[in-house]
Amino acid sequence: MAAQEDQIHPIVQRRPRIGPRLSQININVWRVLVFFLLLGVWWLMAVVAGQNFLPTPWQTAQAAVAVVKDGSLLTATRDSLLVFIAGFVLSAAFAIPFGLFMGGFRVFGATIEAYVNALSAMPRVAFIPVIIVFLGLGYEAKIFIVFIGAVMPILINTYAGVLNCDGELVEMARSAGGTDMQIFRKIMLPGALPYITAGLRVGASLALINTVVAELYTAVKGLGGLLSIYGNSFRMAQYFVVVCVLAIIGVAVMQTLKLLEHRMDRWRYRGERT
Amino acid sequence: MNDAAAGIVVRNVSKTFRRAKETTGVQALHAVSLDIKPNTFVSLVGPSGCGKTTLLRMLNGLIHPDEGEILVGGVPPVPGPHMGFVFQSFRLMPWRTIRDNVSFTVELSGMDAKERADRADKYLDMVGLRRFADAFPNELSGGMKQRAALARALIAEPRYLLMDEPFASLDAQTREFMQIELMKIWQHHKSIVVFVTHSVDEAVVLSDQIVLLRPRPGEVAEVLDVDLPHPRWDYDVRERHEFVTMRRHLWERIKDMVAADPQSEFYMRGAKTEPIRGAEE
Repeated sequence: MAAQEDQIHPIVQRRPRIGPRLSQININVWRVLVFFLLLGVWWLMAVVAGQNFLPTPWQTAQAAVAVVKDGSLLTATRDSLLVFIAGFVLSAAFAIPFGLFMGGFRVFGATIEAYVNALSAMPRVAFIPVIIVFLGLGYEAKIFIVFIGAVMPILINTYAGVLNCDGELVEMARSAGGTDMQIFRKIMLPGALPYITAGLRVGASLALINTVVAELYTAVKGLGGLLSIYGNSFRMAQYFVVVCVLAIIGVAVMQTLKLLEHRMDRWRYRGERT
Repeated sequence: MNDAAAGIVVRNVSKTFRRAKETTGVQALHAVSLDIKPNTFVSLVGPSGCGKTTLLRMLNGLIHPDEGEILVGGVPPVPGPHMGFVFQSFRLMPWRTIRDNVSFTVELSGMDAKERADRADKYLDMVGLRRFADAFPNELSGGMKQRAALARALIAEPRYLLMDEPFASLDAQTREFMQIELMKIWQHHKSIVVFVTHSVDEAVVLSDQIVLLRPRPGEVAEVLDVDLPHPRWDYDVRERHEFVTMRRHLWERIKDMVAADPQSEFYMRGAKTEPIRGAEE
């Protein structure tokens, strides 16, 4: 029986691919090439604009060694990461359960939805003075600013994920005697996962932006603080070091989330790589 | 439990679907009565709109009749693992492996993980999918997916198997193999099978009894017994005289129903028309 199987039904219906298959080596080579290309463009622009406006990559590297040696960069990075991670984790810890709750209880969700949308459309910077009044200029205020920046996309995506659950699967589970709670846990929640991870990715980038915003608007600290100090005193080489560190953090966070996504959605990415 | 109590009884069942804020609706079924004996394979056939699928969902207890009563094993039906349901769209959870999809039914009823994995493997064996236990649904062909869905229904050892056009989305060849597969499984695990299909062929090949429904509103037009000897995979059923006669008879009736149905796209396009009840409205 099993042996014949193979000939009658070969494994088909893999995810259709557009263009040739990406191999890991290929993409890494391309990434490195583009990196040097960008470096070249940067260097060219620095030469044309003059180093008072734009430092060359080499000057930036030298400045990097200096700020690493005197410890200011590491302290600032640690401060910023603390604010970012605390704010982002808090927003996820609040937004995911709340979004699931909104999706699980339709009346509640539909009622709250209007206010969620209103809040998400409002520029969150507007809250900063109020936050400073209540929470001061320290970590609490910064973390809260990151929190309100990241919470809405995660919440809205989680809610949308639950609402977009597969009605056919729900009926299947119901026909087999599944309770509402079982259907929610075993059908709706896993079905919402791709939406939740998408929300987390948007939330993470907003959290990073808000970390810098918070450090500029409240007590000047962390990487945002360094940007402000170096920017105001026209130390452009040091300024660019901070910009690069922020970019690296951004890439690292996104890659981590992507890995997490692939692990959770194993079936979708089988045979593919990050 | 005696025979009568283990069967399915449908008495005078009517069902109308209404959209919100509408007083009139579409009557899906009108005064349908059926009596299905234990260990019988019954097919529900008829043109689109005859309420076959509605009736099947009512037998499962997913929806309830407006009038009349349904008794499954002597009691009104409640959805559960004892009533295996197989859908046309396979409805496998894409994020679960085939094994975990199959064991879903018994997972709902609280069987522990070790036991349900063993059970899943046993039923995967039965449908010939053991080697694909760890694959994901998107790695399988349509026929394999439907076998997995069948295993998911069978794993709870249901006394009633309700199948809603299960092979309709498969290619013609896979479909015939699946019919044989189903007949073999049914031979070993006798139960009531209620099988909804658009295919007259399929109904005659598989069933002990065929219930022909007519559309708008859905009513029982005729109940036929199929007297072809079992097991039917040993010979070519389609060559038998009884098969040909019954197939022709059913097909003629369905053609007439469709031609006389003003809401059908083939209205008045049949050779002869015979007015049917409800068509005048």
